Amino acid sequence: MSGAGLLLPAALLLPAVAAMAGFVLGGRRAEQAALLWCAAGVALAFALLLAVLLAGAPVAYHLGGWAPPLGIALEADGLAAAMLAATALVAGGAALYARGEGGTAETRAGLTFWVMLPALWSAMAGILLGRDLFNLYVALELLTFAAVPLVALDGSRRAAEAALRYLMFALLGSVLYLLGCALLYGAHGTLDIAQLGALARPDPATLAAGALMTAGLLAKTALFPLHLWLPPAHAGAPPAVSALASALVVKGSFVLLLRLWFGALPALLTPAAGQVLAALGALAILAGSVVALREPRLKLLVAYSTVAQLGYLMLMVPLVAAGAGQAWTGGVLQAVSHAFAKAAMFLAAGSLAQALGHDRIAGLGGAARALPLSVGAFGLAGLTLMGVPPSGGFSAKWLLLTAAIETGQWWWAAVVVGGGLLTGGYLWRVLAAAGGPAAPDAPPPAPVPRRGEAVALALAVLSVLLGLLPVYALGLVRIGAP
Amino acid sequence: MTGALLLLSVLLPLGMLAALAWPRGRRHVPRLLALAPLPAIAAALLGAGAPPLVLDADRLRFTLGLDLPSALLMGLAALLWSAAGLAVRATLARQPGAARFAAWWLLTMAGSLGVFPALDLIGFYLAFAVASLAAFGLVIHDRTPAARRAASVMLLLAVLGEICLLVAFALLAGAAPGESLAIAEVLPALAASPWRGLTVALLIAGFGLKAGLVPLHVWLPLAHPAAPAPASAVLSGALIKAGVVGLLRFLPADGSLSDWGTVLTALGFVTAFHGVLVGVTQANPKTVLAYSSVSQMGVVAAALGLGLSTGQAAAPLAVAFYAGHHVLAKGALFLGTAAAGGHRALWLWPALVLALGFGGLPLTGGALAKAAVKEQFAGNLAGLLAALSAMGSTVLMLHACRRLAAKADPAACPPKLLRAAWLGLAAAALLLPWALQAPLGLGDPRATLAPAELAKALVPVLLGAGLALALRRWGRRLPKVPEGDLLLPMERLARRAAPLGAGMLRAEAALRAWPAAGIALLLVVAALLLALRGPP
Repeated sequence: MSGAGLLLPAALLLPAVAAMAGFVLGGRRAEQAALLWCAAGVALAFALLLAVLLAGAPVAYHLGGWAPPLGIALEADGLAAAMLAATALVAGGAALYARGEGGTAETRAGLTFWVMLPALWSAMAGILLGRDLFNLYVALELLTFAAVPLVALDGSRRAAEAALRYLMFALLGSVLYLLGCALLYGAHGTLDIAQLGALARPDPATLAAGALMTAGLLAKTALFPLHLWLPPAHAGAPPAVSALASALVVKGSFVLLLRLWFGALPALLTPAAGQVLAALGALAILAGSVVALREPRLKLLVAYSTVAQLGYLMLMVPLVAAGAGQAWTGGVLQAVSHAFAKAAMFLAAGSLAQALGHDRIAGLGGAARALPLSVGAFGLAGLTLMGVPPSGGFSAKWLLLTAAIETGQWWWAAVVVGGGLLTGGYLWRVLAAAGGPAAPDAPPPAPVPRRGEAVALALAVLSVLLGLLPVYALGLVRIGAP
Repeated sequence: MTGALLLLSVLLPLGMLAALAWPRGRRHVPRLLALAPLPAIAAALLGAGAPPLVLDADRLRFTLGLDLPSALLMGLAALLWSAAGLAVRATLARQPGAARFAAWWLLTMAGSLGVFPALDLIGFYLAFAVASLAAFGLVIHDRTPAARRAASVMLLLAVLGEICLLVAFALLAGAAPGESLAIAEVLPALAASPWRGLTVALLIAGFGLKAGLVPLHVWLPLAHPAAPAPASAVLSGALIKAGVVGLLRFLPADGSLSDWGTVLTALGFVTAFHGVLVGVTQANPKTVLAYSSVSQMGVVAAALGLGLSTGQAAAPLAVAFYAGHHVLAKGALFLGTAAAGGHRALWLWPALVLALGFGGLPLTGGALAKAAVKEQFAGNLAGLLAALSAMGSTVLMLHACRRLAAKADPAACPPKLLRAAWLGLAAAALLLPWALQAPLGLGDPRATLAPAELAKALVPVLLGAGLALALRRWGRRLPKVPEGDLLLPMERLARRAAPLGAGMLRAEAALRAWPAAGIALLLVVAALLLALRGPP
């Protein structure tokens, strides 16, 4: 077992240790434990990324030396390494943003945040590195159970309702997923992805399992029309939580979806099924963007933008299935750059709301002068969402676009570019309002921590810079791709 | 060496932009904007035809290089940027917001100058997008309601144009056999591409939008007048040439696009006359100049279209020469709108000479520009239309001078530096074509002095001058066309679509109810099952 392999269990277990330690120690110690882990976790994620890049092949680790199906296998391919690095940076950014907010006394909200942040990280790592559908189920549940308390963090009735709605729908998704697992296990006697990939045939049990698991995962990803829980949950939470939830949590189930279709059941993925998934994605882009175009509140607008942007991820399924390798890169790049951009947007929106005392878009006048860093971060992140070069979003959309054209599925090309236009429309609303003059009766903006604004800006800049290194990312993301 | 200069011509503006992050930079950079385009001028002088510079040859293949048409346009555009930079120093550099203006200025410049040497799809798209989007900050600079509206309309249409180009480039890349994204390597596959028509149509739409071809010109007469004068000068002089260089670069004049050449010609002539007809109803001199730009780009498109339909390999250079004269003359005239004041010999007479140059007045640079595209307008019909458009240009430009004189304050004393920039650029517009025509191989400029040629060139000018007198007499009876003519019906149409959004909003709200979401979940399962079963 090489030293690089040890990075995998470390990425999975150390954040769990940090969460436990924080829970036991309590108070400010929880914050310190979480921040300590964040620093270590960023280094660890990039070490893993480098290891995968240098090896040019997926890095694997078998817990206790037992090979699957008996033991638990962990494996980091390009997708996992890239997403883990994104997780590290986004979660680290959210932690920096939230640092010191709670004061010195232990509060329920503070403790929950600092315990659940590393727990969520650990669950993400489990999803990214796991190679067994049941272990992945466990990680997915952990992710939900880490995210729900975070959504309910501020203790208000609205937040509790949103969290409950989220929990109920996520559990519905879990049930469907678990049902599918049971069917697969009954039919094939294994839940290991690699083994299933060799065994799975389109028999009724496997087909039903595929449909059920997919629907369950889509419910957890909040793909339109299964998005009812996302807007209230993401818009009602504190900024750091919204950033984590919108940037990372919904991507967990999406990665699982990719593992399911391109790892475990590739033989089942008919062209029609790919088209159904992408059609739901296209609907998500349209519906999410149109609602965002008319949404009067900033945080809800950003949440609906997530609904729309998740749609882009689905477009990669029929394109990859048709053999366009660049669509895989494009989809993963979209997931990563959206993670940075959306985290930046929620953090910037949080700073704006804190300074202005409200988040009505109509009342944003004068914000560009008062908080240039936050508005700048919002605008830069918007460039990525729109797909303006040289941002990561541009590279992602370019790859999806050429993949759609080369595989003859021009209708998805139309969706990609039309979605960019709608995105530009709703971002324009925000930026035009923020660039306008302040209302004469508006109170002067309250001071907000510069650090929070800087974190948002840094994440936004990252999302733009991603477009400048697609080549190196390209090589990485292709490692272990179907 | 030239490769380094090309790189520097983009990096120097960006470096100065970065310098704005420091207080010292904010103090000095707005006054030094004239220096930023100097590497581009040097690159254009030395770099034409040199082997292209390839960065990151293994993977990205960013390629920078200049052929003769793009070198000509780049050099002249850089000259305009430099002169306009002096005008900024004279007018805006001490005002509040100078640093912000300088930031947008430098970003737009980097994009604008990057478009000319970019020889790969991604680099070209990047430069083009930067130039289009950053111009927003120049147009909105005054923060008036008119500037805000103009800037937002421009941004919307710029994004539309970007989308057209993005799809066109993706189609080009998709049709090309290899992985390379070098323009020279993807273009040969265009003729046999299954999406040839769509690709060319999107290219013409995207570049035509930037160059102001009807009906996508609506943003231009709003945006160019709304900006401060130096910004108007670069927008109308240098920036719209990004569209021209795009058309030159992506539509090969080798006879393979003869069908689309006809389309482009028709679009060009419609634009040329539309610009004149709407322009003469305008009162603001800057708006009249903007409509003249629309009209002139129509002539450029018509000339290029004729070159495409007959497969004239020399057409791009001739067209670039014509457009190059427009860079200097229109840029100068926009600076002139700010420098108008004081003695008439210092603003009105030079403006009149430049104005008549657009109609082809002998001895002016405009006459040489017209002579350069003579080959393209050789046909009977084309020649007649070209002469008519020259006459129209004369009317329009004389109208512009009259509006300028009506608005100018004779007591005002424009800053010396501004006046120097304006007069210098005007002199360049008059004289540089004389110096450049023969070395570029576009014929001997003295040929335009032959009596027969003189007479032929004078007819449209004289007719136009007569019509201008008539316009002066009866012009008030013309209907008043709002700036951006076709924009208003377009906006009405867009408002019609609003109920669609409201309906979608209601549907989305209904889907967020629990029972609906539950049913949707079941339907998704059912749809997936059906789709997974595959064909029986």
